[in-house]
Amino acid sequence: MIRTLIVDDEPLARRLLREYLHAHDDVEVVGECDNGFDAVKAISDLDPDLVFLDIQIPRLSGLEVLELSGRDHGVIFTTAYDKYALKAFDLRAVDYLLKPFAQTRFDEAMLRARQLMGQPSPGLQALAAQPPGKLERLLIRDRNQVHVVALETITCVEAQDDYIQIHTAGKTYLKTQSLSDLEVRLDPALFVRVHRSWIINLAHLKNIDRLAKDSFVAVLQSGQHVPISRAGHERIKTLI
Amino acid sequence: MHPVLSGPRALSWYLLAWLTAGIAWACAMALSGLAPLRNALWFAVPVCVVYAFVIPSAYYVCRALPFARRRFSMGLTLFVCSALVAGGIAWALCQGWNQFSLALQQDWAGVALSPNAGMALFASGAGIYLLWLLLHDVMMATDQMRTAQQRELASRALAHATELQMLRTQIHPHFLFNCLNSISALTSIDPAAARAMTIALAQYFRQTLAMSEQSSIPLAQELAHCQCFLEIESQRFGTKLAVNIHIPDDAQGALVPPMLLQPLVENAVKHGIAPSTNGGTVHIHAAVRDAWLHLWVENPVEDGNGTDLSIPTHRGLGLGLRNTRQRLASLYGEKARLTQQSAPDRFVVEVALPLTTAPTAR
Repeated sequence: MIRTLIVDDEPLARRLLREYLHAHDDVEVVGECDNGFDAVKAISDLDPDLVFLDIQIPRLSGLEVLELSGRDHGVIFTTAYDKYALKAFDLRAVDYLLKPFAQTRFDEAMLRARQLMGQPSPGLQALAAQPPGKLERLLIRDRNQVHVVALETITCVEAQDDYIQIHTAGKTYLKTQSLSDLEVRLDPALFVRVHRSWIINLAHLKNIDRLAKDSFVAVLQSGQHVPISRAGHERIKTLI
Repeated sequence: MHPVLSGPRALSWYLLAWLTAGIAWACAMALSGLAPLRNALWFAVPVCVVYAFVIPSAYYVCRALPFARRRFSMGLTLFVCSALVAGGIAWALCQGWNQFSLALQQDWAGVALSPNAGMALFASGAGIYLLWLLLHDVMMATDQMRTAQQRELASRALAHATELQMLRTQIHPHFLFNCLNSISALTSIDPAAARAMTIALAQYFRQTLAMSEQSSIPLAQELAHCQCFLEIESQRFGTKLAVNIHIPDDAQGALVPPMLLQPLVENAVKHGIAPSTNGGTVHIHAAVRDAWLHLWVENPVEDGNGTDLSIPTHRGLGLGLRNTRQRLASLYGEKARLTQQSAPDRFVVEVALPLTTAPTAR
């Protein structure tokens, strides 16, 4: 049996998927979710074989669900219209259904999903690491909790082995991601890579102190000191 | 073409003025004892009339070097030189005519011109010409300013019309495709509902198109359009979407620009209802107070269990409201305003317009 999860905020859209799934005897719908939070939870709790994931859903977008759940196989996106996402899907050969879609198109997607069943898809992995569109907030999953961090509250980010430590005014968070992956998604006019393992938010920068010739340190408004490499100093000089 | 030489009417008035000036000049000469009136008239009137045809050249001098493309030194040199030339012509004209008159050897023709009088003739010829140059300059500058202003007004009106056209016929792809998907789902579950939704969708687009041909509509009509939109959305969102409309009778007939309320209602559904898990109520209220029409659209905001999940959704909100604000500004100037209030649990947009009602004959 193919254990399937349906994620869509519109009841009619979910019913339509169920109807199309009737034609496939070996499919069992194990759950339905109408928002992103429930979807992340259901994906980790139920570990379905196949997920129909709408992109525009409340609380977390379908792409954020993918990022947070770390899901790398068995996902078919559904969307009415989203030009950024569609471009990214085409680029990475990720399958998607454009609403409204016919049973024949749905069956094609099912056929393709069956062939790839259980195999990790490089397209989905790339999509989770580099979601399309501009980054507007940072999502951090901490066991059963999801922290949403507004970018403007981030003071600096530090790389530590294979995860990053995110400093905000009040708290620090740990996230499994590379600093370079994060850097490319941040606004380069605001977030600067001042060091191999540090990114700072210019809005929270107080001043730059010179320790010795060619040796600088950034002092943040929180009082925190962040080392600046020689290349980092060149970069930050052009921005301030 | 020269403003004076363009028509016989203007030309005759212009020559009449110069003729009068010539007579006045002759009288002045006679009164100051320079010459008998007869001689003075014989001298001054023809000179003035001929000089009247020299003066219009000032217009072409000004036009050759328009105000905007002229440096100060260049303009000054040109004006002084042409005034001197005109002065020379005036002097030569007077001298020539007087010599000719004297050669006739009649006691009624010719006046005695001293060297000083010659200088005065030259100076007044140049001075009058300079005056005309400046007059033309001012006239042309004013003219240019007026046409520029008219052009600006026209282009603003055009931009306004295009923007409205775009706004009105804009089909939001997300809305349309989701509707079609819902209809597709309903065809097997509830064919009657599928038909109802198809009809509502058709009616919605028909109303949109019809509205694009009007510049203002009664609030009741705008509201009907919003209700049509909400009917479609409630089919999509089910019990999540509740609506509360309160429009008092005195506001029903108030005139509003078409598609004023609809984008606000659409925003409320898009940002207040769609992203929430439990849904809520969209409130649409109107009131008439002291010759002002007030409109409110309110939607709930979900707090997201303590985490600020509304961050991205609030971003998109700016554009729709900005469009409406710009539209109000171009239609009413300072006389209308749009305010937004953001509370932790709700978002309110208020529009205030000067109250206008449709003429009673409807």
